[in-house]
Amino acid sequence: MKIRRLSAGVAVIAAGALVLTACSNEPSDNASASPSASSSGAASTTGGTVTVSETNEFFSFNPSTANGNTDINSKISLATNSHLYYIDDQLKVQHDDSFAKTEKLSDDPLTVKYTINEGKKWSDGEPIDANDLVLAWAVFSGYYDDAKTDDSGEVVSGASYFSYAGSTLGLGLTDFPEIGDDGRSITLKYSKPFSDWEVALDLDRPAHVVAKNAGLADAAALTDLLKNTPRGNPDKPAKNDALKKVADFYNTGFDSKTLPSDPELYLSSGPYIVSDVQEGQSVTLVPNKTYDGDQTPKLDSIVMRTIADPSAAITALKNGEVDVVSPQANADTLAALEGVPGVQVHQGLQLAFDHIDLNSTGVFKDKNVREAFLKTIPRQAILDAIITPLDPKATVLNSVLFVPAQPGYAKTIETNGFKDFVEPDIAGAKELLGGKTPTVKLLYNINNPNRVDAYTLIAKSAKEAGFKIVDEGDVDWGSRLGDGSYDASIFGWINSGVGVSGVPQIYGTGQSSNFNKMSDKAADAQMSELIQTIDPAAQEDLQVQIEQKIGATFTTLPFFQSVGVDAVADRVKGIDTYNPNQNGVWWNTWEWTVDDAS
Amino acid sequence: MLTYITRRVLASLLILLGASFIVYMLVAYSGDPLAEIKSSNSPSKEARIAQRTEALHLDVPPALRYFIWLGGAVKCVVPFVGQCDLGVTLQNQPVTVALSTAIPTTLQLVTTAAVLAITIGISIGIVTALRQYSTLDYGVTFVTFLFFSLPIFWVAVLLKEFGAIKFNTFLYDPYIKNSTILLISLVMGLLWAVLLSGSWKRRGITFVSAFAVTAGVLYFLSVTRWFSEPSLGIVVILVTGVAIAFGSTVLFAGLRNRRALYSSLIMVGLGGVAYYALQPLWDRATLWLVIGLGILAIVAGWLVGRFMGGYDHQQSSRAAMLTSFGVSGLVLLDQFMKNWSRYASDPHIRQRPIATIGAETPGLNGDFWLTGIDKYTHLVLPTIALILISLASYTRYSRASMLEVMGQDYVRTGRAKGLSERVVVTRHAFRNALIPLATIVAIDIGALIGGAVITESVFSFKGMGVLFLNGVRDHSPNPVMGVFLVTGITAVVFNLIADLAYSALDPRVRVKA
Repeated sequence: MKIRRLSAGVAVIAAGALVLTACSNEPSDNASASPSASSSGAASTTGGTVTVSETNEFFSFNPSTANGNTDINSKISLATNSHLYYIDDQLKVQHDDSFAKTEKLSDDPLTVKYTINEGKKWSDGEPIDANDLVLAWAVFSGYYDDAKTDDSGEVVSGASYFSYAGSTLGLGLTDFPEIGDDGRSITLKYSKPFSDWEVALDLDRPAHVVAKNAGLADAAALTDLLKNTPRGNPDKPAKNDALKKVADFYNTGFDSKTLPSDPELYLSSGPYIVSDVQEGQSVTLVPNKTYDGDQTPKLDSIVMRTIADPSAAITALKNGEVDVVSPQANADTLAALEGVPGVQVHQGLQLAFDHIDLNSTGVFKDKNVREAFLKTIPRQAILDAIITPLDPKATVLNSVLFVPAQPGYAKTIETNGFKDFVEPDIAGAKELLGGKTPTVKLLYNINNPNRVDAYTLIAKSAKEAGFKIVDEGDVDWGSRLGDGSYDASIFGWINSGVGVSGVPQIYGTGQSSNFNKMSDKAADAQMSELIQTIDPAAQEDLQVQIEQKIGATFTTLPFFQSVGVDAVADRVKGIDTYNPNQNGVWWNTWEWTVDDAS
Repeated sequence: MLTYITRRVLASLLILLGASFIVYMLVAYSGDPLAEIKSSNSPSKEARIAQRTEALHLDVPPALRYFIWLGGAVKCVVPFVGQCDLGVTLQNQPVTVALSTAIPTTLQLVTTAAVLAITIGISIGIVTALRQYSTLDYGVTFVTFLFFSLPIFWVAVLLKEFGAIKFNTFLYDPYIKNSTILLISLVMGLLWAVLLSGSWKRRGITFVSAFAVTAGVLYFLSVTRWFSEPSLGIVVILVTGVAIAFGSTVLFAGLRNRRALYSSLIMVGLGGVAYYALQPLWDRATLWLVIGLGILAIVAGWLVGRFMGGYDHQQSSRAAMLTSFGVSGLVLLDQFMKNWSRYASDPHIRQRPIATIGAETPGLNGDFWLTGIDKYTHLVLPTIALILISLASYTRYSRASMLEVMGQDYVRTGRAKGLSERVVVTRHAFRNALIPLATIVAIDIGALIGGAVITESVFSFKGMGVLFLNGVRDHSPNPVMGVFLVTGITAVVFNLIADLAYSALDPRVRVKA
């Protein structure tokens, strides 16, 4: 028995060792002789692949709808469409003249003409023309909506047709456009001037596909339907089943987490086209063969991979599985990115900024109490604790309407008064309070370490001046905003970077995102003037004046801009700076190339 | 029996119903799914709130909303009533659709890991039980508990760093340094010396031979740059096959049973013939062809054993089947290896084959071999992580169970009547030791369907675990309930199967109504 056990053991050793052995007598070119090898060999001679890591999952080919409007859907749409305008990494509005021409024909009344160049085609060969622009206009203008809603947002009469993610404020001022140039152009006439006219309209989904799926003959039939439908009147709602069908398809028909079986649902008008979607995992873009504009694609493919865990994304970058990552910037991710060889790290300031809002009711009804509270806030200490470790050169943000990169910033900080609140002034605060000890309920997101840090520093400093602070740190802070259950809140806003029509939404009396109910009649008037001002210099002046009034109410105080970061493998060329707006690295996909086309 | 099953199923249904209500309430009250919209300054805020409220019935209080969900869910269980409706996720995707992609991903991730963990765990447990209180026993206990207590996200990070990033860099120029060879050979020598206990002289011989073999093999692999263009070749397949033949004969029949040995060796020969005969077929290989060939190999093994005859032809068949399976596995492995360099040089891979994220390389359009290797390179790290963590429990359970059985009277009787130790262990002890494990394995499988939440997130797999996690994070009950339903039903069913299997395996236990 002993001998047999030994021999069994030897057999096991031999088996274990020999599995690993290399008796590779086989000719090594055997593998490349198989048929599919030749195709992969051919592919290697062209532009290569760039893989971009993103946090969110792709789920809609229509990012213009309220549901589909997420960062990743917009990024994919950006790369697979031609645009009437796009925004570059310097936050400048740019136009692609090889696709279309945008002309301002007159200032008063504001008249804008969009002309699509001759011969532009969707990827199925159908022409891109005025019909597509009319559909986009119908969606972006909210022209046909005649719904009335009650306070809770329930529709009581009429209907909202197209679900549009953006503001209908601007194009709502226009009437049905005039079509010209053999059906390649539309001309919009505004009843009042509109500040953001340049970014109001863009090419949207193909009209012929929407028409077909809504049971209409063709794109022209859809344009006729839209032309013959009058502006929606909430007081006299009219039932329009044909339009409803169009809108229903537009709102949900392009939502898909996988590649639709019908190729018309993911038509492209831009340099790239979607070729594959793995649900929740990846989206693959390849060059669009019918594209003939200036933004010629140079890569074989762009792959977007969804990696929710930032450290997994950085590891994947290190392993060469992805070429571009844009993780949330914090001390951990920056340190991790520093340790990755062969990548270029771009750091910059985001358009997002943290701030504190004081309600103008309750304990803060008295303006002096508000001012006293703002005086206690140690903004430099907050910056030092949160941002300085990431960006030693960062400074306290002194405007809620401008970021330092914009020209108006230098002017506005002279007048808005925010720069008086950099270091806490406890004595001044005590003086304003005059011996009172108000109790302040402070709301913030308890899951966000930055907000917790800011709260701790503010609470400590405010107590010195005699304030009693109640910790209202809450996971559900978002749904409590504006409900009056707190006196002050620390949270973040995202500056759009382009356009001014977002201003009244936050600072206008009674507006939906005016959570602290700040109200200043003069500012309201200037804000309605602002959105009717076309001249950029005049816009800037107005914003400076508005911000001065906002500052004088002592209801808000900005802290700092968040730090943003992306990292790009050295083999990828064309991503040279940090782009602060929500499109991230995706704004110029047509300029991307790879170095090692192997 | 039927009454018992009916009673169990009805009781389980009630439990599921109660549990689903509690889970629904917990998620519904965990937070506000509208918070993210409410705190934004999006111009279409009202529209989005109205849309989400309508899609998720947020205007109905949670307790009543549960019944809306239940109304839809019941349609999934009762046949012929209508469409299955488990509600929608926040992105307006039906939960049924989300589940239909999450379940396969999870199964793909956990199945291999579970099978390997069970096989390896039980084998180690049995071996340590037979060598109770030896160096091997203590060593294995130490190592398995060490892995058991490691947090999986940390194991994952280590695996990614060394198994993927460093290994891929090594593959650029697969040359092993002499000092590394020496170190690995020393470790391997020690390992074998501990594994094959015995006199000091024997351990010494084991150590020296294992050291020499490992060092030789590693040196050879290094100088031939084997890792860039791996393959086995016919010689290795045949020699390894003969070793498998001896091993499986020892396991099933004992070397004295020459018929079994010869059947196994015949299978090795046939495998060698197949190696050449199948070459022209490989270019057109599909998954079904490979599975078919595998089944064919096992059937051939059974037939050969049958034709060798003798009163115990079943033993010959089993040995031949195992050998045949092993050899065909080697032939397949060899074919995969030959496609390795083609895979590694694909423009999507760029010579960095081992992946750290996802289930596959997007955009890789390859034949059966390339996609097969792609699956392997993506699954290898998470599988190792899962195995390391779950090894300990299987090892401990099977060791305890085996020790208990080895102390039973019938084992002593078997030895007393002159049965060989091999027969006592494999026939009398091993089989009975597996009975309690049937319960554990069945329940574990139920738990596995629920997904390995942390492993899935770290390795970026979109399975059940991530679906569940996202649902909890978004305060959205529908996906959470979908995952709950699937795992709940599997757990109930597998518990029932475990109980029934127990009574079928152990005649002392009877199911009574």
